[in-house]
Amino acid sequence: MQLTRRQILASAALPWAPNRPRIAALVTEYRKFSHGQHIVDRFLEGYGWDGEHHHPAMDLVALYVDQHPNGDLTADRAKRFPGMKVYPTIAEALTGGTGKLAVDGVMLVGEHGKYERNEKGQTKYPRYEFFKEIVKVFASSGRVVPVFNDKHLSWNWEWAKEMYDTARRMKFPLMAGSSLPVTWRTPSLEFPAGVKVEEAMCVCYGGVDSYDFHGLETAQCMVERRRGGEAGVEWVQAYRGENFWKAYQEKVWPTELVEAALCRSHTLVPAREGFNNIFPTVDDMKRIVKNPVAYRYRHADGLHSTMILMSGLIRDFNFSAKISGQKDLFSTQMYLPMPDGRTTLANFFSPLVYNAELMYLTGKETYPLERTLLTTGLTAAGVESLYQGQKQLATPHLGIRYQPTKESTFWRS
Amino acid sequence: MKRIAIVSSIYRYLSHAQHMGDRFLIGYPHEGKWHKPDVQVVSLYVDQKPPGDQSAERAKEFGFTVYPTIAETLRCGTDKLAVDGVVIICEHGEYPRNELGQVLYPRYEFFKACTEVFEKDGRAVPVYNDKHLSFSFTKAKWMLDEARRLQFPVLAGSSLPVTWRLPDIEIPLGSQIDEALMVGVGGSDPMDYHALEAMQCMIERRKGGETGIKSVQLIDGEAAWKAPYSQELLIAALSRSDTPLGLTDKDGRTQDLVRTGELKRLVAKPAAYLIEHNDGLKTTLLMLNGAVKDYTFAAKVRGHGTMSTQFLLTPVPNVTYSACLVSKIEEMMVTGRAPYPAARTLIVSGMLESCLQSRQKGGEKLATPHLGVRYNAPAQSQHARR
Repeated sequence: MQLTRRQILASAALPWAPNRPRIAALVTEYRKFSHGQHIVDRFLEGYGWDGEHHHPAMDLVALYVDQHPNGDLTADRAKRFPGMKVYPTIAEALTGGTGKLAVDGVMLVGEHGKYERNEKGQTKYPRYEFFKEIVKVFASSGRVVPVFNDKHLSWNWEWAKEMYDTARRMKFPLMAGSSLPVTWRTPSLEFPAGVKVEEAMCVCYGGVDSYDFHGLETAQCMVERRRGGEAGVEWVQAYRGENFWKAYQEKVWPTELVEAALCRSHTLVPAREGFNNIFPTVDDMKRIVKNPVAYRYRHADGLHSTMILMSGLIRDFNFSAKISGQKDLFSTQMYLPMPDGRTTLANFFSPLVYNAELMYLTGKETYPLERTLLTTGLTAAGVESLYQGQKQLATPHLGIRYQPTKESTFWRS
Repeated sequence: MKRIAIVSSIYRYLSHAQHMGDRFLIGYPHEGKWHKPDVQVVSLYVDQKPPGDQSAERAKEFGFTVYPTIAETLRCGTDKLAVDGVVIICEHGEYPRNELGQVLYPRYEFFKACTEVFEKDGRAVPVYNDKHLSFSFTKAKWMLDEARRLQFPVLAGSSLPVTWRLPDIEIPLGSQIDEALMVGVGGSDPMDYHALEAMQCMIERRKGGETGIKSVQLIDGEAAWKAPYSQELLIAALSRSDTPLGLTDKDGRTQDLVRTGELKRLVAKPAAYLIEHNDGLKTTLLMLNGAVKDYTFAAKVRGHGTMSTQFLLTPVPNVTYSACLVSKIEEMMVTGRAPYPAARTLIVSGMLESCLQSRQKGGEKLATPHLGVRYNAPAQSQHARR
């Protein structure tokens, strides 16, 4: 009998359910609004889900925290949740000091904290290093368990690929990525399956080697549903500053898709004083957006996608696409209730944690790891193109083909 | 192209008249496009001109006239009604409050000035009235009776019923609803009105439609916690909140506000608005200032379990939820049909007034035989979902 997700969760949530999975979390830091806090707190405190205050049907028993900045919450959480022990090393967190893997799932959160930046502007978050520690314990214990990796796999493509290959070779479920693919959408639309897509666009905000990854995931979780599935990416070219505006005016990418995406924004900075919601002209955009960035890339089946960072103009993630044979453009916003004063909870972490829970309970990846392998490679290629003077770079290593899930995995319930 | 008049209290940055009125002038985001409305603003009335008044500058830029009276605004300086629709936005501005704490916005007076023109000139056109019809049910009822007598469509109310929902749910038409609860925040009487109307747009879809209000009771302070609302629905509604305060504000943690007891510590002055409908349905609005900052809803719907959602109030300054409302106003101006019944706003205007009277009488339960407003919900969903 095929169980639905809800049935699986319901059965696992029963108090007599044997062997609640034991989870270890490895985080770079644990302070207010760090990814570590958003994610680990949801396991400890529960979170609003499906009209309930949901408590994951598992126990977070071990925590490793790499850095302890001002405002570190590790001690507070350890005290309030005595079932969770804090360990000084990753190996000890995974083995509970027994010398053998003693958990049933691992949550790796290598985002935030003080880590070196390289000459390309990439922050060297130690996700690969943490991952290597994990697989060392897996190997020595002769047992593997599911791993969830927050955000991209690594800033370094070779390492990311190694992480992917390792998971596949050692046969453990590995999920990764951003909250953008799984958060609310306004409107709450799924991209139609099996359609031919002519052009796709994400217009968002933030910095290079940071929110660019979220923008790429936003576009990728949609276009992977097109006819044939994902076919891989042949080349990437980045545009920035003057080059960006030149390309914009030469319509290197369809500007009507930018406009459609902007029409989904809830945070369009008014181009004129005294107006609260006015559509900007290109001249307005030039004035408001100081450092625009675009990554434009060609998929192997001919689709062109563009990810645009328009910091200063908007603070949200908007997707648009031209679907063959459809008169109207497709568009939606991947809505983040960002705790920037208006909200207090970054609840877009809830669907991310929920999907990790499903994997820990079922041993199955709920959406394709290949998506995040590709967006990891696209992020690195975009950064590299910027570094090499905005050159178009061939990306034979990104010939990553995969199929989307049949079922929608974004937040609708 | 339909010609419309805007009749407003004030036209200043971020006043309702500005953020709604401007959309008719410069367009607004709608279904993934920047929609240029099929209507033209030809005249404007502003009741007050506070510092920052924008009426003259808008008139100059967009080529319409600001008239000193409502009648002249509707007649555009001629001797006959010269517009195809009127948008009354009487929210914000300096107006006194009465002993119930209601702001005495002259919506009734504005509306009456319009109907006088309609009657004298022998033609009536669609009217949108922003927010509740009036602080007084008697006046509100007169407004809709007058509209029926003169045979023109009226649309009214808040933007909460038409904004995005998280998740995007709709109560199936004709459902059996066993109980409903709304959580709101903010002051009375602007924000409790929004919350009551948000709840009303959900429960009016129940079997038999709206049957009117039998009684209301507003319990203030500690006693509100003892009101007979469902704890389960409160948990469901709050599970939809993105804005728990207290410990979440302090260190970012998620919270089960009800079961941890934090809710009662955070809300210094809770208020429970208890509404009993003629068909027996009991609904509750809890105003929970200090605990959250958003508007959430939950109901027990037979065959569907507990349904819950958040009415998304999108960020300032765009307040794109008002674009959702303006598209409904435009729809009425263009088609001559109100997409949803103003009776909803009438009944909410009345239940709010009676609730405030109950509060004034120390939380006494008040029978409301005058609120026997019956109507049916529109079959089509009206909120933002495309």
